[in-house]
Amino acid sequence: MTTATPARTAAPTKGLASRLLHNAHAQFLVFGLLLCLLPSLGSALGLKASTLQTLGFVLIYSIAALGLNLLLGYSGLVSLGTSGFMGLGAYLAAYLQDDLGLGFWCGVLAAVVIPTVVGLLVGVVSLRIRGIYLAIVTLCVSEILLKTFEQLEWFTKGTAGKQSHYPSLFGFQTGRASMFVVCAVALVLVMMLTHNTVHGQLGRALHAMRSSEVAARAMGVNILKYKLFAFALATAYAGLAGALYLFFLKSSYPSTWNLFLSLNVIAMVVVGGLRSIFGTVAGAFIIFAVPELVLKKLPVIGDVSGLPYIFSGILIILVIMFFPQGMKGVADLVRRPFQRRPASGKGAPA
Amino acid sequence: MTTALSIEHLSISFGGLKALDDLSFAIEENQIYGLIGPNGAGKTTVFNCVTQFYKPDQGRVLFTADPDRLGRWTKKAVPSGDGRAVIDLVGLPVHEIIRFGLVRTFQNVEVVPELTLADNVLLGGHVDFKATMAEQMLRLPRARREEKAYRAKALDVLGFLGIAGLANQPAGGQPYGVLKKLEMARTLMAEPRLIILDEPAAGLNDSETEDLAALIRHIRDQYQAAILLVEHDMRLVMSVCERICAISFGKFLAEGAPADIQRDKLVQEAYLGEQE
Repeated sequence: MTTATPARTAAPTKGLASRLLHNAHAQFLVFGLLLCLLPSLGSALGLKASTLQTLGFVLIYSIAALGLNLLLGYSGLVSLGTSGFMGLGAYLAAYLQDDLGLGFWCGVLAAVVIPTVVGLLVGVVSLRIRGIYLAIVTLCVSEILLKTFEQLEWFTKGTAGKQSHYPSLFGFQTGRASMFVVCAVALVLVMMLTHNTVHGQLGRALHAMRSSEVAARAMGVNILKYKLFAFALATAYAGLAGALYLFFLKSSYPSTWNLFLSLNVIAMVVVGGLRSIFGTVAGAFIIFAVPELVLKKLPVIGDVSGLPYIFSGILIILVIMFFPQGMKGVADLVRRPFQRRPASGKGAPA
Repeated sequence: MTTALSIEHLSISFGGLKALDDLSFAIEENQIYGLIGPNGAGKTTVFNCVTQFYKPDQGRVLFTADPDRLGRWTKKAVPSGDGRAVIDLVGLPVHEIIRFGLVRTFQNVEVVPELTLADNVLLGGHVDFKATMAEQMLRLPRARREEKAYRAKALDVLGFLGIAGLANQPAGGQPYGVLKKLEMARTLMAEPRLIILDEPAAGLNDSETEDLAALIRHIRDQYQAAILLVEHDMRLVMSVCERICAISFGKFLAEGAPADIQRDKLVQEAYLGEQE
């Protein structure tokens, strides 16, 4: 179809509703609004507290997975260290809020800043390392952090587990429902921040770096700077996710922050879709919530131990084989019949 | 006429192999200059030494730039007398080179398949953006303004090459000819003073090569940039270049107008072997 009309641009003639529908930030806001309404709507509709708990974790894992998507999806850097940085964020939040009594905001701030600094250090050391070797280095860092969580009793209470409580925010004592809302707000902010980051000069530089470092350098992209940036932002997200995890669950055990969590976050990104923001959230839902809410309740299969891992494993294979773009690819496929113009059509002028 | 790029006594060796041996040549501003030589002559090595992917063992790579594009390298440059400045590129980081208006293409077309054509072109303007990372992440006014202005410029460049209609299509899956033009567009986005084309005729048929020759002249006329053509394809080099430098085994063979080069004994020997 080379005779098609020129590619449609954002025509001002389109209605306000349609324009809002295509504005990414409006989409994030609507999504966040729905999430914020979920706890109150849910209790009216008989949503179980345990379900809300599971969905809360989906929001938290989504934040960490968005960070990993920046690395893996946009920058082409592999990290197996997400769980270690999440754990560091969780323990820092607990230490500042409960042990030092500095409150929620100091806890979150430390949980974001300190893992970011550690992430930057790892980034500096491992800048010349690529692919599988970078994965190994990040895995080592994560394992060192895990051992530290087990041994550093004054900080983490070791294997006995660190206990915390719901924080008070602006003089308001939060509970499960209000912490869910806090997580939803944090997720929407992170989605917006990620969207802004990947669209524009910054995002193009990350894309170029992934695609070809040689070409990126020739175009003036300072590889060192952007690798460090990607690392810093991903660890900041992981730290934030860790802090929210702690405040939402009110406890943290070292065994939580093991390799399987990092692998699950990778699964979320791959299943959800590399370089897709809503896809990442969908991936977090599929990898974490589907086994919890659906599979475990099935007869016979539900009793298999390690079921979530088997599920993620099979899902990753299927997604890579049939939907390399993850849930984003699935969504595009569903949407295609409703579009006026085929997605692959060329809008070349005559 | 002012010199755009002057290569002086360039030498580099890899292990025991002398890839470039005391090579010198100069390109005038607005000139279409060809660098030719048989396989393994060191053409690509020259290229990589100019763009600083390789650090030469000896020699200088002098580039004439506008003083306001020098940025933090102003001190390293020497005023050239006519309001320009000459800077030795040797030792500068690779990602700083494009800043001065020296930009290259790649033999095997290096574009980002996942980005649209417009975004790929915008990559050529990477160093022009003044908004900080934080400003971009928060979409503050300066970041939005810059993005809008440069996107318009990118569309202009795509329009110049006749592919503006594809601006919002992803680069992946586009035909080879479009990708070659896209790479050209990306270099033009950087407001080049010198464009280095790495075997642009590779993979093109005769009529496409003719189109390319016309395009190269058109770019030079419109954008007032010098062009260094590193090329295998003799038809293209002989038809489009105003001056040619021939090298063999890293050594200078001859320099001159296309006709002179074709007649040159040394060049003929290098290409065809000695005729006795």
